[in-house]
Order: sequence, then structure tokens, then C-alpha cells
Amino acid sequence: MMATKTELMQLPGTAPGRNGVEIRASLGGRGGFYRSYEVYQRQRVKESTYLINARVFLKPEFLRDPYPALKLMRENYPFYRDWVGNCDWVTLYNDVTSIFVDDANFETRAKAWFYGMPGFGRDLREELPVLWAFASGIDRHVVPIAEELIAGLKRAGAPDLATGVFDRLDTYLLAAVLGLPRDDWDTFARRYRAMMEGWHWHPSREQDGKDAIARLSTYFAPLLDARRAVPRDDLLSALASGELESGPATAEDVVATLLEGDGDTLRGSLINMWGLLLSNPEQLADIRGDPSLAKRAWQEGLRHTTPVLTAKRFARQEVERFGRLIPEGGLVVCSGASGNRDAAIFDDPDRFDVRRKDLCYREPRGQYRADGLPAGIAFGPGRPSRYPAVPEDRPRSLYAITRDAAVAVSNLILAELPGLGLAGAERPEPFCRWPGDLHLYRELPVTF
Amino acid sequence: MPTAIIERTDIPLMPIGEAYDMGRAPDGKPLFDPRIFDSREFARNPYPYYRILRDHYPVYHDKLHNCFYLTRYDDITTAYMDDEGFNTIPKGASNPVLGNTQLELSGVEHRRRRNLYGQHLVGNSLNARIPAIERLASEMIIRFSGSGADEMATENTAGRRTVELGKAFANEFPIRVVCQVLGFPEEAQDKFFYWYYSMMTGLGGSETARQGLEARQDLEDYVAGLVVERRANPTFLCDNDGNSMGEDIISKLSRTQIDGDWLSVEEVTSNIALIVGGGGETTRGAILNMWYLLLSHPEQFAAVRADPSLFQQAIHETLRHSSSIGGQPRHTSYDITMRGVTIPGGSLVNCVDFSANHDDRVFKEPERFDIFRDDLYTGKLIRNGYDAEGKHSHMAFGVGPHLCPGAWISLQESILGSEVLLKHLKNTRMNLDRMPKDINGVTLAPIGGGAIRELWIDFDA
Ligand code: HEM
Repeated sequence: MMATKTELMQLPGTAPGRNGVEIRASLGGRGGFYRSYEVYQRQRVKESTYLINARVFLKPEFLRDPYPALKLMRENYPFYRDWVGNCDWVTLYNDVTSIFVDDANFETRAKAWFYGMPGFGRDLREELPVLWAFASGIDRHVVPIAEELIAGLKRAGAPDLATGVFDRLDTYLLAAVLGLPRDDWDTFARRYRAMMEGWHWHPSREQDGKDAIARLSTYFAPLLDARRAVPRDDLLSALASGELESGPATAEDVVATLLEGDGDTLRGSLINMWGLLLSNPEQLADIRGDPSLAKRAWQEGLRHTTPVLTAKRFARQEVERFGRLIPEGGLVVCSGASGNRDAAIFDDPDRFDVRRKDLCYREPRGQYRADGLPAGIAFGPGRPSRYPAVPEDRPRSLYAITRDAAVAVSNLILAELPGLGLAGAERPEPFCRWPGDLHLYRELPVTF
Repeated sequence: MPTAIIERTDIPLMPIGEAYDMGRAPDGKPLFDPRIFDSREFARNPYPYYRILRDHYPVYHDKLHNCFYLTRYDDITTAYMDDEGFNTIPKGASNPVLGNTQLELSGVEHRRRRNLYGQHLVGNSLNARIPAIERLASEMIIRFSGSGADEMATENTAGRRTVELGKAFANEFPIRVVCQVLGFPEEAQDKFFYWYYSMMTGLGGSETARQGLEARQDLEDYVAGLVVERRANPTFLCDNDGNSMGEDIISKLSRTQIDGDWLSVEEVTSNIALIVGGGGETTRGAILNMWYLLLSHPEQFAAVRADPSLFQQAIHETLRHSSSIGGQPRHTSYDITMRGVTIPGGSLVNCVDFSANHDDRVFKEPERFDIFRDDLYTGKLIRNGYDAEGKHSHMAFGVGPHLCPGAWISLQESILGSEVLLKHLKNTRMNLDRMPKDINGVTLAPIGGGAIRELWIDFDA
């Protein structure tokens, strides 16, 4: 009898594995196979990437303005092997989005994993009661908090929109939504920020972040107990309640949920939007005339000066993409900031233009597009909605919630601060303080 | 309100043996900044930083460079011995230039290829080639030490001659030895040196990467013709009496079939590149580092002078103290937990041989160079390493299935070459004026991670 193909491949003590490559029987299960090197392409002369030196990603010039290097990669090496960072960079819009929607092949690792604390707490963001409490909390608190901060700005000697308003807005809002006592907001804000900045790689920030995580966990424990005893109308009560499918939250679950959510994107998107508007006064005037443009300005700002430059995805298994074999566990650095400046997608992509016609202004659905138009790629607000229409039992998406909050705050600024403009002659520029940091305007001194 | 700024990344240059302060955790544990790996400070002074990793982060997750580091002798041994869990898929920056070779294989595939030419580098074959190696060394050394060899010396004053030992001898010697066993045609050896140096400086990610790839391509084009020729007419290696000892390595590779296919020109070229790449710089570094260390420890040099058989101990202690290869990359085949840290499957794990060799859990006072130390094994190399009677083998050649197959021949080269040097050079001492200086411009540049750049010596003419 003829042996079947599988039988032929099967040596004693081995089993046919993925792609027909043998797996040692002793290893079984996940991985543990020998892969012939013949499948890995060696870089050829034509593929040499000498126009760019991977060390640039750690240099101040890149931290200040990453766009020239990203453009160079898009145009020459859209799938760029970075030997220093042991990763591949993906920089074209369609390539970046194709990886973001490909959960089957690419995994997002939790920030807790980067902290070296795998298994720390549960991320409860997807629980319905949590989503509802979050959405309604933001809707309720965003305007009063923005009003308070803007009032403070008006009193300030040297008013600064970034440090005075936006730097506090997201953390105060989170604190209010959670239902924390007003006196604790500043401490919470400091710890939250330390936690969100510590997971990347930076040793002292990591230390501060771990410290903040420990302190926040201690801090939330008694509050959760109190809410379990006497529930209120806030996110902590929703987390403490028995309504969660996976059981009520512990203090660590609360911290993990905060850590994994990119709550500070509200801040990043607002700072950059206003940094751009203040640097383009004619467009600011335009918006004043037509407040419906605020939403567009927010979306265009996120596109043009994207706070999160890159996001990391790890190949779940060996997978071929872009003509290359990405080995299991391979890190793909996806640059949304670069995709957002892809000239094949956006006309004159380096121009900030709140009236841009080729950017999708609705919430994108599914594949980062709606109405046939591409959406800007932004991380904090989450990926495009999975739902063709928002189901009745769900609040609107995180994207919509963040956007609406940003628009509400912006409209308030327009109304409260007539004649708003940059103070001083110096034009502020966004930058990252260290590799992996958000790319943001750090200061926006203003007059009004 | 403090003004946000771009963080400076300049890393201070420290006295050799001291790490700069990267901050501390509240419990006193030193923090570790992965930016150090890209710094000039680290290149010249790596050992105190590896000590921090060994003592406080034996499995260190470097998130900036997306990899893990193993730094303790025991853990590295575990990883090298476990070629199922720690596999060798292509990954290194050398890969574009060197190509895929047995370095990147595991299991059956690895053994089949390793056995192709391993025999030429060890045992009886090697013994039979010793006279040829010795002859080559003598020829090269007489060129600059013999009478009438004045033009080789940089300085030649009454009774004193000055040379840079690398240029005069150690840079080329190992490559010539390897060319012989490869059977690389004499007439192409000059071109070969050019290809070799371009490839070595053109490893992935460097500015000269394109040059490296071009050199590799040129070599491949040349090898293509050679393969056809040798497949029809193999050439042979001979012992001292002119008896054939079998096909040279290139002939062997050209005439090998695996699973019914000839090895491709690509693969033959990669193997040539690996053998020369693996045997050139490394052995050069071993010879120069040994002479540098001996000359800066005059009492030990005097002992070797009195009894040249001590070169055996000296070369092993050199490779322990200052090997020329930092370590080897591996990839985890599945999730592996070591010392409480789970390394996900598919992660790059750098096993730092430098650090294993300076692990004071194994070698006492590891920073001290001492050819008489009693905790270093200096006998015949053993694939699985040596650990008995308080002695350990060093990690410079790795251990386990990928143990350097060139270890035996490179030890012979270093020892024979040094013996010939000793014989021909009278009253050798370092020329301190000409030696490269450290940043301060006063003290000698340290060996750091790798090989000494230049070794200037004076000897009596
Ligand atoms: C002092 C000199 C040398 C040092 C320190 C050295 C070091 C090493 C090390 C550490 C490895 C292990 C790689 C691994 O574990 O992945 C290795 C492998 C190798 N070395 Fe050497 N080497 C030296 C000289 C040589 C010479 C002279 C040759 C050739 C003539 C050579 C050819 C090779 C080859 C072909 C491999 C790959 C072995 C395999 O993957 O199975 N080396 N070497």
C-alpha cells in the first residue's frame, strides 16, 4: 500500500507539525519544533537598508521629529528589520492596520507583562457593567471638571493649556468616574501617570511605576470594601459589585483595568490637537466660526501628530507577511504615526487641515475605514468597533466616548477663552522625552 | 512646574571595573539601564555591568532591545545544552552577511552538516597538519624578525625593533591557516582578504552593511565557479609527507549531497564565510589578548618564557579572562521559566559567555588574570564542559552541540604561533607610547568586550 504524505513525513518518534515540519514527540503541544533554516530569507544586496541606521530610533532627533525617518522607511523599507531593537517595523497605513486587525496571528502583550508581573490582576474593561459605568461617568463629569480647570487657567499668572488643563483633565476625570474623594485626586493623578509611564523599559520609571501600582492597590482595597457595603453611582461600585461575569473585582483588578486601558490618550489627543490649532491660527479661527469642526480637528490632530508613535505586536506563530517569514514570538513594531502620514492614503499628509476631505469622520467600523475613507490610526480610543451598529445593551465605543469628551472640552475652551492664542514668540513643538514615550506638545503657554 | 525635556542619554565613562550608578530600588537593589548596551562605556568596560546582571537580574528582560540576557555560568550551560528549548533559528545581525549555516540548525539537520568537515579541525587530521601550521607561522614571523626584515618594522633603532603584532602576524595568520584547510585557491587569497574584512565590518545594522552584503555576493559569485570545478576535480589536503588526508573542506562541501540535493552555492558560501568568520577575528583576538595580558603581567610572562608549555594554561586563562566573542543568541522554542522569570516562546535570549567566564560562583576573583589559577580546567576540550575537582572549563568556545568545532585548531594556532614568536623575538616588551590609550589619554585602552585593537611591541633585533 502506498504511504500517505503524512506517513512519509513522519519519522519514528516525531509527529507532523505545523507546515509539515516535524515536532519531537517528546515536546508535543505548543512549539518545540526544529525549523530548517532554508525557509528564512537572507537579506540580499538589493534589500540592504543602509539609508537608515536603527540607532536613530533612540536618538534625540527621532524623539523630536520621527517623521523624516518614518517617511524614509515607508518609501524604501516598508518592512524594516531593526537589528538593534530586534524587531521589524511596519510603516505603511494598510500594513499597520492589517496587523492591528489580525488577532489570530498577532498578540498584544499586557502592560503587566512588560512590568514583569504577568498575571497581575484582571483586565475588566470588557465587562458590560464596567463599560456602562465608565461611559456614563465620563459623560457626567467631563464638563464640570473641564470648567473647573479652565477657571483655574483664567486665574493663573502664566496660563498654560497643556500643563494647566490637559495634563490634569484625564486623571481628574478618571478619579471622578471611579468616585474617589476629591482630596485624593492629585495623589491618584501622580500615581496613575507613574504607572502609565513605567512599563516601557526605563529603569527608574519602571521602579516608580511598580511603586505606584503597589500603592494604588493598597489604596483601592478599603474603598472597594466600602462600595460593596454601600454602592454608589460610580465605576468603583460597578467593579465591586457582584454583577461582573467574572466575579467582583479585587483592588489589583482595579489597578490592572486602569493599567491596560489607555486612559491617558484623552490627554494626548487634546494636547496635540490644541498644539496644532494654536500653531495654525487661521484654522483655529475657522473652528470658532463653525464649532462642528471641533470633531474634525480632533480627528485630524490625532492623524497628523499621533501621540502613540508605535504599538507592539508579537507573532503568535510563524507567519508570512510582506514577503517575509516572521518567526513565532517575533516582534512587529507597527507605527500608526507613520501610517497616518502615508501619502498613498492621505493627500499631502504632512499638512494639518481640519477640513481635509480624505479622512473618515465617522467612527470607523471593522477595517479602519468608513464611507470608503480611511480613519486615522489612534491607539488609546481602541480599535475600530467590531459592531456594524452599536448593540442596544452596550454603551457607545471607547472611541466615541473619548472623542465626545474631547469635543466637549474643546467647545468649552472655545467658548470660555475668546482670543486664545500662543503666548510668546516661540512656537512649541511636540517631542518624546525618551524612546517609547508619547509624542506630545509638553507646554502650550497661551493668552486670551 | 518643571520643564519637560528630552532626556540625555550620555553615559559617563567610568574607571575600569566600576559601574556607573543607574539608580536604586528602595530595597537597595541597583537598577539597570538597557541603554548601556549601546554605549561606548560598555564596549570598554562591560564586566561590572554583567556583575550587576548576574547578582540581581540573572534572567534580565531588556525591553528596549526586545531580548533576554542570561549571565550566570550555570544558566548559560543549561541553555546551551538544551538545544530543544533554546533553538538557533536565524536571528543574529551577522546572518545577512554570513548566511544560514549550521549555527542556525538544531537536531539531526545540525549534526549532519557539522559532521561534514569537523574532522579537519580536530584529532589525527589536525595533528598531521601541525607542521604546516608551524611552517606558516615561522615564515610570517621571520618576515619581520629575521635579519634583513627591517622594512616590516615601524621603528628600527640600534638594537630595537618595533612592530604592531596584529599587522605583523596575528591578523592574517589565522585566516591563512583556515584558507589552507578550506582549500581556498592561493591566487584568490588577496581578494579573499578584502571580502573577509568587508564582511566582518558589514554585519547587519551597521552603516557598512551594504558593503558587507556586496562582499558576500562577490564571494558567492566566485564560489559558484569553484564549486563546479571541485565537484568534478576535488582537491586534497596533505600531511607533512605529502600523503593525502582526504578532500579539503571546499571540495567536501561541493561534493556533498543532503537528501539527494547538492549543497547549494549559497550554502557552501555561507559555510566558508562561517568558518573564516568564526576562525579569523576570534583567533586573532585570542593571540593578541594573550600577549597583551602576559606582557602586562611580567612575572607570568617570565614563567612562560622559562617553560613554554605553560602557553596551554595561558591561552585558556586568556579565553576565560578576555575572550574575543561575547556570547551567543538563542531563541526559546516554548515558554521557559528560569529563576522565576518566564521567557515566552520565540524570545531572543542572549547567553553572555563573557559573563559566564567572570561568574565568581565559578571562578574566584574573576577579574584577575592568573595562568596558575586552580579553578580553571585547561585540559582536552570536552563537548559537555568540565566540572570536577573544583575546576570548570571556560565558556569561550560555548558548550554542548554547538561547541566550537574550531576550538582545537585555534588553540593549536595560538600556542604554536606563540612558541615561534617566543623563539624569534628576544626580550619582548610592550611599547607603551604607541599603545592605544583609554579616554583619559593616559592609561592603556582596556581590552573591554572583544579583542585588543593593536598590540605594539619592542624586541631586541
Ligand atoms: C579563539 C578562537 C575561537 C573562539 C573564541 C570561538 C568561539 C566559538 C563559539 C563560542 C561558538 C559557539 C556558537 C554557538 O554556541 O552558537 C563557535 C562556533 C563555531 N566556530 Fe568557533 N571560535 C574560535 C575559533 C574558530 C575557528 C578557528 C574555526 C574554524 C576553523 C571556528 C569555526 C566555528 C564554527 C564552524 C562554529 C559553528 C559550530 C556549530 O554551530 O555547530 N571557530 N565558535
